[in-house]
Amino acid sequence: MGWIRAAVSAVAVLVLGIATPVAHAALEGTVATEQVEVDVSSRSVAVTSGFNGTELVVFGSVANSRQDSPESGYYDVVIVVEGVMSPVVARRKSSVGGLWINTASIRFGSLPSYYAIASTRPIDEIADADVRNVHRIGFSHVPMQVASKGFSSGLSQSELTAFQESVVRLKRKDGLYISEDYSVAFIGRSLFRAAIGLPANIPVGPVTARVYLFRSGAMLSTADVTVALTRQGLDRYLHTMSKSQPLLYGLLCVALAVGAGMLGSTLFRKGSH
Amino acid sequence: MNFYLPIAELSVNIFVFLGMGAAVGFLSGMFGVGGGFLMTPLLIFSGIPSAVAVGTEAAQIVASSVSGAIAQYRRKNVDVKLGVVLLVGGILGSIIGVEVVKILRRIGQFDLVISLAYVTFLGAIGTLMLIESLNTIRKSRAGHVASRRSGQHSWIHGLPLKMRFNRSKLYISAIPPFVIGAFVGFLAALMGVGGGFIMIPAMIYLLRVPTNVVVGTSLFQIVFVTGMTTVLHATQNYTVDIVLALLLMTGGVIGAQFGAVAGEKLKGEQLRFLLAALVLMVCLRLAWDLVVEPSELYSISSLTGGH
Repeated sequence: MGWIRAAVSAVAVLVLGIATPVAHAALEGTVATEQVEVDVSSRSVAVTSGFNGTELVVFGSVANSRQDSPESGYYDVVIVVEGVMSPVVARRKSSVGGLWINTASIRFGSLPSYYAIASTRPIDEIADADVRNVHRIGFSHVPMQVASKGFSSGLSQSELTAFQESVVRLKRKDGLYISEDYSVAFIGRSLFRAAIGLPANIPVGPVTARVYLFRSGAMLSTADVTVALTRQGLDRYLHTMSKSQPLLYGLLCVALAVGAGMLGSTLFRKGSH
Repeated sequence: MNFYLPIAELSVNIFVFLGMGAAVGFLSGMFGVGGGFLMTPLLIFSGIPSAVAVGTEAAQIVASSVSGAIAQYRRKNVDVKLGVVLLVGGILGSIIGVEVVKILRRIGQFDLVISLAYVTFLGAIGTLMLIESLNTIRKSRAGHVASRRSGQHSWIHGLPLKMRFNRSKLYISAIPPFVIGAFVGFLAALMGVGGGFIMIPAMIYLLRVPTNVVVGTSLFQIVFVTGMTTVLHATQNYTVDIVLALLLMTGGVIGAQFGAVAGEKLKGEQLRFLLAALVLMVCLRLAWDLVVEPSELYSISSLTGGH
């Protein structure tokens, strides 16, 4: 069978020998397309009992960069960091007999629990709404599908919009939806970085950082990287136990309470005599 | 120093909650009350989800009542038979209460119901205590108590299923203590309280239990009912935060010791006046939030009811 292998090798050499100069010619003759590459400072973040938020550095580079200097503003970079998707119930209060109570509600099936945007300049200057909508860039382009409506099924479009805006507003208030213009900085002709805050209340789950490279309103390239945000240590143990063995967990809580109460009275009795 | 609460899913400053436990422990030691009716609203004010506040507070009440219950038992101040009747009712009430919490959370009305329940009970009890303590301070006697006693006495003695409670020297129907126990168990599950503030007056005025066994028997019931409520909240609603409970217990146990010492230096009616003022302040704060137009009409929660 040696002759077959030899023949294949010969053909391969021939093909490569012809193809390589052609490829070079294409690169030199036309435009070398920019490719964006991305990575993060840490691929895994542990949520332990001491977790108080952390900072994620997202950095990347533009292969075949054609800008002259970091300050030239030739490219625009948008970084979107999304947390785990989860359902959200939004409720609205109204006055009923002098009391402010929840009277309308909407359940959104799945939306990012955390959403951060960092960019080289305001995103509405970088790309128009259609482009941003396609790539889910910006709070108004976060997907919010209505899963079910409670109380009042006949909500108008304006009421639905008000609900969607309230979700974004409240998420921003909780520090879970973050937007920072001018927070992506080029360090060299191709290297850029941004620091994204992961708040203490970020829901646990995979976090995805997506990078978009723009030039004059057109998206040239995109890349993404995933960060594993997982519970670790005692916190993981207690959380898992409370969900998988709730009876045992409940009994443990009671045992702890009895122990704490008894210990307290014993210590006090010793101290007072 | 911050600590991440595994169930509430919040990062909190541990000293805030140790301090809160100590402050409420101090007050409960001083006034001789459980403190659940102060702690649960405080937890809600400080941003703990109300369902987690209620579930966790149940565990904390176990800790704050257990040593008192054992001490009372040793002094033979517990009518175990009466306590068991109260307890059977209490467990039934707690089971119903935990299910009600589950349903209310699903339809998004738990915050409203808990606020209304607190405003009602704190308002009524605070007002009664304030009037009573002011009357005592003025050294005028409250005549209405005697008339209410005899009025309730007659119909309770007409009920069937009579039982003999030796320690309390009572021969009464088992139905009233069962119903009182059930009501208290329901409130324990719904409001995150022990329910002593309902049970003690009910035992004195409705059942006419001698005062020397009232506190011990009430504590006996509270320990078991709140223990049961803790387990039920943990299994049905997943709302007991063990880390938060431990912070509150630690603060509470220490605070109660100092409170007890401080309480001895004040007169009974002065204590009741101060407690009444405190209760009414919490009540007004909750009522204010219900009545005044909130700056944010919308709210969001990840909770969809049931897991």
